Amino acid sequence: MAGAFQFAPAIAALPFVSFLIALFGGRFMPKRGAFAGITATGGSLLLSAWMYFAVLSSGEPHLEIVHTFIAVTDPFTLELGILIDQLSALMLLIVSLISFLVFVFSLGYMNDEGETGLPRYYAGLSLFSFSMLAFVMASNLFMAFMFFELVGLCSYLLIGFWFRADAPPSAAKKAFLVTRFGDYFFLVGVVGVLGTFGTSAFAGDGSFPVLAEQVLAGETVGINTFGFDPQTWFTILGLLVLGGVMGKSAQFPLHTWLPDAMEGPTPVSALIHAATMVAAGVYLVARMYGFYALSPTALAIIAFVGGFTALFAATMGVVKREIKQVLAYSTISQYGYMMLALGVGGYVAGVFHLTTHAVFKALLFLGAGAVIVAMHHDEDMWKMGGLKDRLPVTYYTFLAGSLALAGIIPFSGFWSKDEVLFEALLRGMDNPIFFAAYAMALLGVFFTGFYTFRMVFLTFHGEPRTTVAEDPHQFGWNMKFPLVVLGVLATVIGFINMTPIAELTGAHIEFLHVWFEHGGEALTVEHYGALLEQWANYGEVHAGSALVVASGAVSLLFALAGAGAAHVLYNVPNPDEHTDKLGSIKTVLFNNYYQDEYQVWLAEGLTANVARGADTFDQGIIDGAVNSISGVSLSLGDRTRRIQTGDVTNYATLLTAGLVVLLVAVGVLGGWFV
Amino acid sequence: MSVATTIMTPTTLTASVSASNQPLQLGLGSYEGIAPMIVLGLTALALFTVDSVYPDSTNNTLLSGLTVVGSLIALVITGTQLVTGVESTELFSGQLVVDEMSLFFTFIFTSVTALIALASHEYIGDREYQGEYYALVVLAAIGMTLLANSNSFATAFISLELASLPSYALVAYLKDNRGSVEAGMKYFLIGALSSAVFAYGISLVYGVTGSLLFTDVAATLTEGIDGSLTGVLGIGVVMILGGVAFKTASVPFHFWAPEAYEGAPAPISAFLSSASKAAGFVLAFRIFITAFPADAIAGIDWVLAFQILALVTMTLGNFAAATQETVKRMLAYSSIGHAGYVLIALGALTGAADQSFVLSAGMIHLLVYGFMNTGAFLFVALAEHWGIGRTFEDYNGLAKKAPVACAAMSIFLFSLAGLPTGGGMLSKYFLLLGAVNAEAYVLAVGLIVNSALSLYFYSRVVKAMWIEEPASDLTIDGYPTGLYAAIVVAAVVTFLLLPALAIFSDPALTAGSGLF
Repeated sequence: MAGAFQFAPAIAALPFVSFLIALFGGRFMPKRGAFAGITATGGSLLLSAWMYFAVLSSGEPHLEIVHTFIAVTDPFTLELGILIDQLSALMLLIVSLISFLVFVFSLGYMNDEGETGLPRYYAGLSLFSFSMLAFVMASNLFMAFMFFELVGLCSYLLIGFWFRADAPPSAAKKAFLVTRFGDYFFLVGVVGVLGTFGTSAFAGDGSFPVLAEQVLAGETVGINTFGFDPQTWFTILGLLVLGGVMGKSAQFPLHTWLPDAMEGPTPVSALIHAATMVAAGVYLVARMYGFYALSPTALAIIAFVGGFTALFAATMGVVKREIKQVLAYSTISQYGYMMLALGVGGYVAGVFHLTTHAVFKALLFLGAGAVIVAMHHDEDMWKMGGLKDRLPVTYYTFLAGSLALAGIIPFSGFWSKDEVLFEALLRGMDNPIFFAAYAMALLGVFFTGFYTFRMVFLTFHGEPRTTVAEDPHQFGWNMKFPLVVLGVLATVIGFINMTPIAELTGAHIEFLHVWFEHGGEALTVEHYGALLEQWANYGEVHAGSALVVASGAVSLLFALAGAGAAHVLYNVPNPDEHTDKLGSIKTVLFNNYYQDEYQVWLAEGLTANVARGADTFDQGIIDGAVNSISGVSLSLGDRTRRIQTGDVTNYATLLTAGLVVLLVAVGVLGGWFV
Repeated sequence: MSVATTIMTPTTLTASVSASNQPLQLGLGSYEGIAPMIVLGLTALALFTVDSVYPDSTNNTLLSGLTVVGSLIALVITGTQLVTGVESTELFSGQLVVDEMSLFFTFIFTSVTALIALASHEYIGDREYQGEYYALVVLAAIGMTLLANSNSFATAFISLELASLPSYALVAYLKDNRGSVEAGMKYFLIGALSSAVFAYGISLVYGVTGSLLFTDVAATLTEGIDGSLTGVLGIGVVMILGGVAFKTASVPFHFWAPEAYEGAPAPISAFLSSASKAAGFVLAFRIFITAFPADAIAGIDWVLAFQILALVTMTLGNFAAATQETVKRMLAYSSIGHAGYVLIALGALTGAADQSFVLSAGMIHLLVYGFMNTGAFLFVALAEHWGIGRTFEDYNGLAKKAPVACAAMSIFLFSLAGLPTGGGMLSKYFLLLGAVNAEAYVLAVGLIVNSALSLYFYSRVVKAMWIEEPASDLTIDGYPTGLYAAIVVAAVVTFLLLPALAIFSDPALTAGSGLF
């Protein structure tokens, strides 16, 4: 199967080709470039599957350098490479699957609805898939940064797709600027990593996580840590990179762009939330986990921010009126769980939740898209109701996704979220910070159950509250097919790693754990475990089966409680706006804790004033100096010009005088007249 | 750059001294080196023949074609010899010398001649005296080529006059144009004065050394002269420097230049400011490096004199160019400024310098300049052909009507300013490096400051062409083939010189090293 890896570049190249086709030839094609994108991402999906089995059979990662930018090794190398290991093979599969389904869904959502500008849409979607696939395959941090930025650009282009309205361009700019703010730190981090280690490779003997570990172990000397203690310096570097992660993965306080990004077309939202942009951040942490494992401080910050975000976003999701807004906050919250898992050392748990979330969140967004089409592009849940009988395919798939999101056994979300919480609990038993993070995440489960089922009940149950909801618009196979595929997956994908069952029965069914136990040196979960134990004092904790089951039961209980509360309040023929009873709390929640307001205040009150000062300095002193120099030059030039009088006798005089001056000067210096 | 520093093997002076003592060589093989001159001479004769058979003909195409073909043949011969490499050969008892430097400059002269003959096809149109026009151009080119081969003051003076006299007539070619005639007259008067200074300088040097051959003069000076004659020799040297400065249009011998360049037909302006200027420089290189080696004539610090000239020339040229209103006159002053840059090649010949590198940098700049400056003046010729006016404002919006020509012009102008649209950036960089190596920091700073200033007035033209809106009555009639071809060729060569400088710097660098 060695031949499989030769085709690895094609996984990313295919969507790029379809990007070019859609951009330049899209307007001449029957579906405006959709088929090019479907073919390309379908091809990527097949190749990714092949890659997956290649990794499965060989067990070894594939690492190759495709292009070197500058052929020097000192002080560092810049290159493009491909790294296919267990993690990236899994992620490639997820990304290409979701991309493919989103393309198919777009046929119904965009083409059938008669949208204009479709070549631009499909070009953007293809470029988005290309960027993300290339990001996943990146063999080093520098390349990852390049494609990370490209992912950001694509999200800007797609969120602002309907640029003629007011809100989308504004949302696109906000997404771009907020994530860019995080990326400044990331960029500094990349430069720092390159400057420190001379390489930014993720894997291999000379990779920077390996070098960093050797430095801590005292095996390698000569690494410049800029005067810091090595571990402190590595923490700083890790936190800098984390800046980019928090922007892209919408972690507190850089999450504000994400709800606004709902202005984009719904399939784009599905792609952004499930597989591409938001996933990129968490993936990056997993990608360089060998580096983060060396820094207990960075891990603690990741875990705490994750736990906090999980709860914080979930509370805001409770009061939203629009179906996509609820999903937006659920995304922020769910990525919080992943961060929490990675922070507490649950590498497999984090990636597991990333996988299941990709599936059920894509499903929920596409389901929401279907509902929005059915409702003639009205997103307000209070105008829906009773869609269950009129849109059965959408209802049952959406329900599967909701059960997964809420974490109800046996749907996929239960297994992964349970493992996240279990890992957090294990770590929390000897560290109060982690316990606090665990507690917040657990509380978040309740809110998740509540807002998820509030959404389901308001949308699908009860009596139709508007005439549109009584007779919704029907749609074709191209929207139902992705829903069904994802609905099935959302139900069953959790079975790849049923830890509680494994504990109870002793059966070896933790396939994901087994999967990550193979792989290249320094890329396996055992290696990460060893690193955590040695450098972050994450000792081995032996949890009994009882604890495993108890943890699962508690989280299930919280989820059911939330769902039950929603059932009581909203699963009635004509529900009231119970959240109104929250009074001023609702206002705070509805305004997202005034996050936007304080960030705008920071930008306008503080940054703009500093910028004005800089502008005054630039205009007055720098430009003033430049202007006066040019003024002096021009007036000198004007005088010089006047030497040319036009009178030839003047010329002869000046010429002779000049010669005499020159003669005298050289003569005096040469001592001719002594 | 590494090439520049590794291939230098200074040949000793004695080799060429002994060569000059050989008997007169008149074998056929020895004419190989002056074959370009012979071809140009035959071209001139052919032009005369055509003109005397059809004295009233205005068959511009035939005359222009003959000139282009003749100069191209000479160009190819030169290029071949340059590529295959030549031994330094002396002819006619050492009156002439054929070496890589002479070939290098002949290459510049023949290229420029071909370009302007091509461009003149439409510019001259159906004016009178066409035979004379092309013949004078070719004769001037012969004079310049001969100047590049001169190895004695006698041949140098004669070929200087051979290059100059046709130029006076050519500047005044537009007989019914007051500016043209006046400029020709002034050019002639200043030229006569400068020639007198030059001849007087030669006589003083002859008086002290007893020889006119460059190599013999150098040998005598190396042996040492009577200390009381240093002053006489010094005055001679500085006066010769004056004669050279006239030809290179360096301050204070530059007064003819702005008016001659502006009054002359634009192709002639191109010819004078590119080829004729290069001829002045090859003369300067020969005389000052071969005949007056700096270490042999203590007490006559001509390096310092050139430093002063370089600084004053580049500053005056660029500052005056900054406030001009017409494009042609701006280019005229910028041409003076560029003479200042090339003078660095002589002004930086201090003890600290990698001397042949500095010299080669100057030669490379002249090569690049030969194309970019010719091209820029030819664009002005195009504008004059269309009759759209002379000021910057008259060029407004021209790019909408003639994008190709304007793109070419932008290449020329940015390359002149030293931006990497053409070889101008690299050659200026070489000069800067040479100046820094020679520890002539004043010159280096002058080069940078003046280049920065020059970007201002060059980009004024670019801005007018591309950004400003055209005047409502801007119309252009036709796209003259010859002029366009010449401009495009010049633009392509200017652009290609940027990557190709690595190749071309080799002959240039060997040529420079041959004199040491």
